[in-house]
Amino acid sequence: MWRIHTREVLSRVQYRRDVVSAVGVVGLRREFGGRRGQPVVVALQGVDLQIPEGEIHGLLGPNGAGKTTLCKILSTVLLPTAGSASISGYDVATETAAVRRLIGIVFGGERGLYTRLTARANLEFWATLYGLRGPAAHLRVDALLERLGMERWADDRVETFSRGMKQRLHLARGLVGDPRVLILDEPTTGMDPVAAKDFRSLVTSLRAEGRTILVTTHDMAEAEAICDRVTLIDNGAILATERPSTLGSWITRYARVSASGVPDERVSEITSAVMEIDGVAEVRLTSPGALLIDTAAEGAAPTVLRLLLDLGVTEVATTRPDLAEVYLRAIGDRGMRIDR
Amino acid sequence: MTTSTLSSRAGEVVTGNVRGVAAGVSRELRELRRSPDQLMALVTAPLLTLVFLAIMLHANRHDLAPYAVLAPALLVLWQMALQTSGDTVESERENGSLEALVATPSPLPAVIGGRIAAVTVVSMLGFGESWLVAGLVFGVWVQVFHPAAMVAIVLVTGYATACSALVLSALFVTTRSARTLQNVLTYPFYILGGVIVPVALLPMWIQPLSRLVFLSWSSDLMRDALTPAPIEAMWGRLGMVLLLGTVALVVGHLLVKRALDRSRRMGSIGHV
Repeated sequence: MWRIHTREVLSRVQYRRDVVSAVGVVGLRREFGGRRGQPVVVALQGVDLQIPEGEIHGLLGPNGAGKTTLCKILSTVLLPTAGSASISGYDVATETAAVRRLIGIVFGGERGLYTRLTARANLEFWATLYGLRGPAAHLRVDALLERLGMERWADDRVETFSRGMKQRLHLARGLVGDPRVLILDEPTTGMDPVAAKDFRSLVTSLRAEGRTILVTTHDMAEAEAICDRVTLIDNGAILATERPSTLGSWITRYARVSASGVPDERVSEITSAVMEIDGVAEVRLTSPGALLIDTAAEGAAPTVLRLLLDLGVTEVATTRPDLAEVYLRAIGDRGMRIDR
Repeated sequence: MTTSTLSSRAGEVVTGNVRGVAAGVSRELRELRRSPDQLMALVTAPLLTLVFLAIMLHANRHDLAPYAVLAPALLVLWQMALQTSGDTVESERENGSLEALVATPSPLPAVIGGRIAAVTVVSMLGFGESWLVAGLVFGVWVQVFHPAAMVAIVLVTGYATACSALVLSALFVTTRSARTLQNVLTYPFYILGGVIVPVALLPMWIQPLSRLVFLSWSSDLMRDALTPAPIEAMWGRLGMVLLLGTVALVVGHLLVKRALDRSRRMGSIGHV
């Protein structure tokens, strides 16, 4: 216990001394409420995270996991209750002016644009706030409109835009200050597949320019497609930081098969047959005639599906377990292996 | 900290504030062009002029015509500033853009101040409207006996109005019932500011309080500029308007910043 604690402390000191990460988060905690008898809600509990420059880092977790709270703290909109966070070495709580010059922030959803103004006017306003005036502002705005494929609609009012176009404009707004670190909070919410694909190639090209990107999502496929590393977050705590391919293999490995309409008299026969397949961890009867089969090895789920069909069970489906569950099971397995 | 570091920081602060004001002014003017509903107060100025002037002329009080012309313009000036100071923060909150605004390098008080300043400049059209209506409808062309002084008084009053509205916007940053507060603050300021009834005619006990309101100095000065007699102690009185405005600017800036820091601690910046 003591050793682990010492190692943690040493690693934190090491981060601060030797590595100036694009994003550095140490022991970050954020509580809400607690006044006038309100219950205290812990949104982040002791989060540690280091993102090197030029990385696309995914923050993956379900709604309410603490992703947006972390983004708000990093963008200086919210103060931490404890711990610290920095952007390129500048503390987000005490060196806000320096941090704000370095970051671009895109909060998800359609809101946040001035709908009675044109796309160009919106961007010019934000460009001025980032210190661009006159020809420099016009050049930057034109370049961004072109980059986001919005030249045709540059002088249309935002209130006439589709949701996808608004999302693009949000991205342009986030880039107008030429940020070194771009924070994208659920940027593809509501985007159609084509726009989402364009978004992915845009993010990749931003990395090529040396920018660091922190993108939150609850879509594993999106994280896999663009991120160099992904941090799993749930209930305000970081579960793991891995390469997306590792997380992807976990999810495939722990796929779940559900079967319904199984006749009562055949439940035990089918359960026994499924349990004989290598890689099946557990079979549960969740309600009359409904079986839930957890797998724990890659390739087990298709074998289970084939067997069920062979046995005459046709109402079958595969589902993905949630990320926290996958993580706990994966770590649990790893722990067992170490113990052996 | 060295002197050069300090002066460089001061330079950054000034530059940040200037670009914040510039962005606020430019955006507000663009929005006003596309949102005529925000200019509704300007529609009321001619109507109020008609009412006030009709009453005064019916009572054969032609000498009070300047009062009837000035009052609606001052009402519009304050009403639009108050409306903007409250709506600026509330509308950014509702629009979901307040958090993104806070996260830019330009200080939020400067952006708010810029927006209020733009509205204040536009609301000065009320002076022209009232004057024209009085002349065109009733044939009463109110003469400005001290035009240069009048221009200076209107400009300084505009400055003080924008600065005072910034103080109010600080209240609106923290409150979720900004619009109620707006309504509550409207009429007391009209009275204390001597907008319709000169402060000298108010009860004695209220006069010291009203002298803390810049409008009381402004309205008296404007009425004096419409009379042939020389304006007494003009520079001193104008200086009071300027001083009260500047105090409001400093207090407003600090209050908005403080309210913002509190919202960052509480996590309530973007809450509608």
